[in-house]
Amino acid sequence: MSTVGPTAEERHALGGFERADLRRQLAVVIALVRRALNEITRVPGASIPGVLAPTIFVIGLSSVFGQADQVPGFGAVDFKTFVVPVGFLQAAGFTGAATGVNLARDIEQGWFDRLLLCPAPRLTVLAGVVASAALRCLLPVSFLFAVAMTIGVDFPGIGGLLIALLLIMGLASAFACYAVTLALRFRTQQAAPLMQMGSFVGVLFTPAYVPKELLAGWLEAVATVNPVTQVLIGVRQSFVGETSWGETWPALLAVAGLILLFGAFAARGLRRYAS
Amino acid sequence: MAAIDVRGLEREYKSGLKAVRGIDLAVEPGEVYGFLGPNGAGKTTTVRMLVTLLRPTGGSATVAGFDVATEPAKVRRRIGVALQEAALDQLMTGRELMELQATLHGIPAKQVADRADELIGRVGLSQAAERRVGTYSGGMRRRLDLAMALIHAPEVLFLDEPTTGLDPTSRSTLWDEVRRLKADGTTVFLTTQYLEEADQLADRVGIIADGLIVAEGTPAALKAEVGLPHLDVSFADCPDLSRAKELLGRFGELRPAPEGADVSVAVAKGAEEIAPVVRVLDEAGFTVASLELVEPSLDDVFAEKTGRHLEGAAEPAAAPA
Repeated sequence: MSTVGPTAEERHALGGFERADLRRQLAVVIALVRRALNEITRVPGASIPGVLAPTIFVIGLSSVFGQADQVPGFGAVDFKTFVVPVGFLQAAGFTGAATGVNLARDIEQGWFDRLLLCPAPRLTVLAGVVASAALRCLLPVSFLFAVAMTIGVDFPGIGGLLIALLLIMGLASAFACYAVTLALRFRTQQAAPLMQMGSFVGVLFTPAYVPKELLAGWLEAVATVNPVTQVLIGVRQSFVGETSWGETWPALLAVAGLILLFGAFAARGLRRYAS
Repeated sequence: MAAIDVRGLEREYKSGLKAVRGIDLAVEPGEVYGFLGPNGAGKTTTVRMLVTLLRPTGGSATVAGFDVATEPAKVRRRIGVALQEAALDQLMTGRELMELQATLHGIPAKQVADRADELIGRVGLSQAAERRVGTYSGGMRRRLDLAMALIHAPEVLFLDEPTTGLDPTSRSTLWDEVRRLKADGTTVFLTTQYLEEADQLADRVGIIADGLIVAEGTPAALKAEVGLPHLDVSFADCPDLSRAKELLGRFGELRPAPEGADVSVAVAKGAEEIAPVVRVLDEAGFTVASLELVEPSLDDVFAEKTGRHLEGAAEPAAAPA
């Protein structure tokens, strides 16, 4: 057989990943994030519900329960300021769930097989999928933040805002890992309610709507051990008071723990998917 | 060293279903290997194991010299795959998809655009490169899928039913590209239900049924196994059929004539024997009304080996020139 195509050396030079080749792996992550962002830029209508939902939630809740801040023990914070950070967490939850649903769609349509067939390390592919959630959540968060400033919520300060954004992006990544785990397990978009439920429950069992001291006994106990509570406190601190390291580091630790936990589940799901 | 070496490969699902039940095959470098079988025979399961999307539950397989179970990343680096459904993101343009695929294969950023351009041109999609894939026809998607599979110049290319559902023109383009890849020395593992496709493109063919390879060889050798080609002759005017049979019997064994023919004779050399047969009959004063060379098909091979026909056998491949 005469060979006029690329030689073996030329073929090998055309691609591949060495273990330490972080630059090429980073390129993969960026490429996958860019692809995920296409939905926002090319089908803007599809992202409108996810962008509006947290804001509608905050405005609606503030209107209905606005006087809740008069309850003894609530503190000196007005209700809408208190609840805006919950909207941020919900934005992270929606985005994380959407990441799982999009992956399930990619699995159904065969696109995910294409990703698995590339020689990039599979954890890099997983990182690309999850990283998109961290960026996409900034859209509903920015919209809610703008509306919150408009309706009189105090500016939390640059430092506080950056800490809040870091925590929200981290939480979106953790929720995305959870949803990705389910997508890899069920391989269908019909699992969407389950993906959504995780973040809903995670946020619900926190001092989302009233301070922890006002929660019913069992709910206070659950909220105390729920790591999302620490994240909420970390995000909320700058809106309701001063930013402190004492409330920041437990939040960072909680986010890191959630990412590690659900990231490990997602990685295991990925291994099982291909076996 | 074989480009693909499969020994006792098995895949059993948790349900207990054994989709692949211990197959052996070897594909040499630069060879086009046609993998034929009906739906549910185990074709796709075999391909998914060879491209590392599914772990074998028994046996072993190496592709481009690397074990699919223990060195999957090395295998993936050396193979290109176009699966049955061309899974393409419809929101992206052809060029964007090519560039994404190049990045996914670790091609350095400075080479990505050139490589994408080269392959887009090669499959005839330069004019459509900036259009979203959602606007592409089925044939264009298949061509783009093929180009994406080739982005890293793979040593071994897996094509899973690449022309199913395509019009003759698109099919012709893909066939030409497979021939070109073969000329370039790329090993091609081609699964298809179209017998003519395998006949046209494959150096060797493996037929799988119920998870087992039931026949393997060159198309010609496989067809020879089930019988010789034969000539069916009918005469415009035949006063002496026994004389005609005597004359034709010199070329090979006479067979029962099918409906519409007067005499049928097996001819070992196939088309080469047509001219001598006509000459002999003409010299003896017979006027031939029709003469048809009937060759065994791969479907005959399949039927012989399994007692069933391939689905694609009934569907002509709308053969391009």
